[in-house]
Amino acid sequence: MTVKSGGEEIEMLVFDQLRKNDPQLQLLTLIVCVGLVTLAAGLWWVQVVNGREYQSTLETQSYRTVRIPSLRGKILDRNGESLAENRPRYSVCLYLEDLSKQFRTTYRKMQPVKVVTNNLPFWKDWLGFDSVVTQRVRLKPEQIASLEQASRFHVVSNIVAQIGSRMGLAVTLNPTNLHNHYTKMRAMPLTVLDNLTPEQIARFEESCADILPAELVTQSVRHYPRNTTAAHLLGYMVSNNDSVEGEEAFFSYRLPDFRGVVGIEGGMDMTLRGKAGTKTVTVNYLGYRQSENVWAAAENGRNVGLTIDLKLQATCEQSLRTHAGAEARGAVVVMNVNTGDILALASSPSSNPNYFINKFPPAEWQRWGDNTIGVQKNRATHELYQPGSTFKPIVALAALEKGLDPSETIHVEPNPKNPNRGVIYVGRNRESINDTATPGPYNLRRALVKSSNFYFVTMGLRPGVFNRVSELAHRLHLGERFGSDVLPLMQESAGHFPTEKMISSQWMPGDTAHVSIGQGKMDVTPLQMAVLTSALANGGNVLWPRLVARTQTQDMNALEPSIEFPNKRVRDHLGVSDRNIRIVREAMLAETEDDEDRATGLRVRVPGLRICGKTGTAERKERGEIHNTTWFISYAPYEQPRYAVVVMVEDGQSGGGTCAPVAHDVYLALQKDFLGPKTIVQSPRPTVPSRIADARGNTLPRTTNHEPRTN
Amino acid sequence: MFDETLNERQGRLDKLQLLGLLGLMLLGAAFVYSATMVNDSARLAPLMSQAWMKQIIWYGIGIGAATAICFVSYHTLASWAMIGYWGSIGTLVAVLIPGIGTAHGWGATRWIDLGPFQFQPSELAKLTFIVALARFLSRPPEELRMPVNFWKAMGMMALPFALIFKEPDLGSALVLVPTGFAMMLVAGVPRRYLFRLIGIVGTLAALVLVDVLFAPPSWQIKLEEYQRQRLLVFFGVNFAPANATPQEKERLHRVQEAKSYQVKQAMISVGSGGMWGKGWNEGNQTALGFLPRDAAHNDFIFSVIAEEEGFVGSVIVITLYGVVLFTGLRIAGQARDRLGKLLAVGVVTLLFSHVFINIGMNIRLMPVTGIPLPLLSYGGTSVICSLIAMGMLQNVHIYRKGY
Repeated sequence: MTVKSGGEEIEMLVFDQLRKNDPQLQLLTLIVCVGLVTLAAGLWWVQVVNGREYQSTLETQSYRTVRIPSLRGKILDRNGESLAENRPRYSVCLYLEDLSKQFRTTYRKMQPVKVVTNNLPFWKDWLGFDSVVTQRVRLKPEQIASLEQASRFHVVSNIVAQIGSRMGLAVTLNPTNLHNHYTKMRAMPLTVLDNLTPEQIARFEESCADILPAELVTQSVRHYPRNTTAAHLLGYMVSNNDSVEGEEAFFSYRLPDFRGVVGIEGGMDMTLRGKAGTKTVTVNYLGYRQSENVWAAAENGRNVGLTIDLKLQATCEQSLRTHAGAEARGAVVVMNVNTGDILALASSPSSNPNYFINKFPPAEWQRWGDNTIGVQKNRATHELYQPGSTFKPIVALAALEKGLDPSETIHVEPNPKNPNRGVIYVGRNRESINDTATPGPYNLRRALVKSSNFYFVTMGLRPGVFNRVSELAHRLHLGERFGSDVLPLMQESAGHFPTEKMISSQWMPGDTAHVSIGQGKMDVTPLQMAVLTSALANGGNVLWPRLVARTQTQDMNALEPSIEFPNKRVRDHLGVSDRNIRIVREAMLAETEDDEDRATGLRVRVPGLRICGKTGTAERKERGEIHNTTWFISYAPYEQPRYAVVVMVEDGQSGGGTCAPVAHDVYLALQKDFLGPKTIVQSPRPTVPSRIADARGNTLPRTTNHEPRTN
Repeated sequence: MFDETLNERQGRLDKLQLLGLLGLMLLGAAFVYSATMVNDSARLAPLMSQAWMKQIIWYGIGIGAATAICFVSYHTLASWAMIGYWGSIGTLVAVLIPGIGTAHGWGATRWIDLGPFQFQPSELAKLTFIVALARFLSRPPEELRMPVNFWKAMGMMALPFALIFKEPDLGSALVLVPTGFAMMLVAGVPRRYLFRLIGIVGTLAALVLVDVLFAPPSWQIKLEEYQRQRLLVFFGVNFAPANATPQEKERLHRVQEAKSYQVKQAMISVGSGGMWGKGWNEGNQTALGFLPRDAAHNDFIFSVIAEEEGFVGSVIVITLYGVVLFTGLRIAGQARDRLGKLLAVGVVTLLFSHVFINIGMNIRLMPVTGIPLPLLSYGGTSVICSLIAMGMLQNVHIYRKGY
């Protein structure tokens, strides 16, 4: 036999047999042939034609997918100080697959036995077979299941107790929890102890290392290093591991994760959160974990850089507490009048966002839900208040635009009930509006300083003036939101200002009178007042506030540049003359500096800094009681305005008494860290800063993007 | 092509067949390794108690036994046939005696415990049956036409069949039928007897199947419950009768799931192998234990090969068996006398039945029966007996017509 190629040889082998003159052997060869071909065809059908289907069945029975949360981006202040970051949280976990053998042996030990006496045939007896034997009792499937459950609990609770005693902690294990974990999450580790302290971690490492199935597992959780500082601005997070848009929707298991609800955490959640990853866990036929494999790594979230200055923010909050009590209900907004950057956005009282990650102390939880304190309210952007007298500068501007001579004097009539105070009667039914100012002659400047209601109601009622007020208000975008792109806090209110339509129908002179003194059918947020104040300060530009300066990757080595959000975005112009703005500015300077008239804003004064301001108090009725909203709006330096500071306190004594001292503290801090001593020596030139000429946003003032810090 | 071999010196082995056998043994050792080295406890076991190593030792012993057989002419062997036959009948009876046969943790008592080695008498009985029947049928054809001899041959087949069936090991018992039938066919037993035999066996089988699958419980013949369930699974018949209560249906449905599990997992293994397979030792089904660990390396070894080597691997296995089978038939054709021819036909048919039933059950072409895949499945008795059978084939080849 010569060596031939294998295939040919086999072919010959088969056909030779078939050609032989031996019908029986031929038949046998044919049968073997058909049999082998049938097998090959069957295998082709199963492996090649339907292979994919079996492959997918294999995957569903042996793979589990797990959602891995991504590392959340930090929230940083303008100087890169961290406001929100991540910290590891340690827990002790048990891996059930390491215990499966113990489950089985314990089950066998726990299985009931019975002693049976058999009647043995004589020869077996004679051979020495024992007639008394112990046998395992045959169990029903339900009994087997409950015995298995009991044996698992026995094993796991023993280990848990062991860990507990070595760590000196009382650790308990709930049988239902264990059973649920076993039936639903068998391939995942079982958490036994959560949120370990550093001492506990050390003790675990040194005393429990030999308990093999137990392991220390870390999870990255949110941490707010400044606790309550900027709490409303940052918002908080709640436990939630749902898939977000653009993410894999189906997972067998999900690891714990959090979702931002309000504040920057809520509004910038999609940026901060990154993209969850997927790992696959291979499970064996019993459902225990066999191996793990990261399928798609989680993408880290991006850091969010705010325009906020942490130090200034803390000063604002501290100052509110100092001057309006520990549970002061108020807000402070500090805004760069030329760029729109928000340097501080304080709201008080606040809670600690860390409580949402760890645990609320019971008292704090009660406080959180207490509506009279309103810890959850962001008073700077979400709550609405009537601006009261702080709206008067706008009315003054409108009157000046309509041809008011600032030196024209108006005589305030005394109130018959209180001869030391003025009063004005409005409309056909002669509604009376009290004045806090004393009767006598008032020009614009004195009227602003003394905040005469009589004067401004008179102005508002003059022909054409209120229409101009309304126009200015609409250019200031009162009654409109900034929107979630500009103010991603998820806590914003639009406020109200009468629309053209409202003013043209069923509008009473009384309505005009009330709005002219910042009450009645209008309300605003402190942030809106900061934009208004900035417009007064910068010569009439209504700026978009900027809260988020940039987002950037967490990876320091990445070459990817940060995404910057532009500042100095002009939203609108007041469209008033420089002269009139200057007149109002002079009047607002007098409010803080005019000793003769005993100006209401005196307490804001900071040596070396000239501040323009306006106090205000609005009354609101709440459950039959009259409550004050006290305000102080201001900007500085007078010579070349750079910062607007708006302070609002609910139920303060007065704008000058409660709010101006808060603003004083803020200006001290601004002077120290932002303005520097240079501003003091600057020539007191009472002019408008180089006109922000731009109407279409082309040439913007030459102010620096970054605030200089002079320490 | 064989003309040139006719004048060659006698005593030459059929090298092509040896090559096929070598290939099968290499595959067997490799995939017994792959099927058993699934966890640390298997990997850390001493080398000599690892399954693949033991398998190689069985191969060694089997090759030794086969070589020994080749030194004596098959005529000499055949003269001991009846002693061997009755001896193995003796072991088959012994295995049924409680205390001698062991169930090995399974439902059936098929083994005799010999200390380090469990002996499976049915494997030996298949061989001695072939030798005895070949000797019986090698008498002149005229004698075979006598009904008494036909019934005697039937009796020789029925006795081990009944004893193996009693263990119970339906699969092993059933392979005796085609083997005996093929041998009678080749021996020249008149066709009418054979047709009668086919008729009887066919009708009986059909009746049993119909009875098992469709008859109400009180009418059914007493099969072992697991055998009935295997048949039901194979034919895809619902376990629960139509009139069962919902709870009963639910329970039986779960039983059915459990019973179909093995076949289902074998199918998943084979199917997921696809065209090229996942690579040696890379099969998920064995590593994760979906393919039951206690069956993967013996009865379901083909699933392991098919998963890891794909359709290509399956075809290689079938080709190797083809080589062995067709060289076996060639040996039958060249045998010196009818005894040699019948021996060769018996061995070939037995081998073919095993291969067809075992591979067939992996792709649901056949019901699950505890039949090993010769030379690939792990197991001492099966390996040694298969190699002895191959030795007998070579023996027939060595002492073929030498003129």
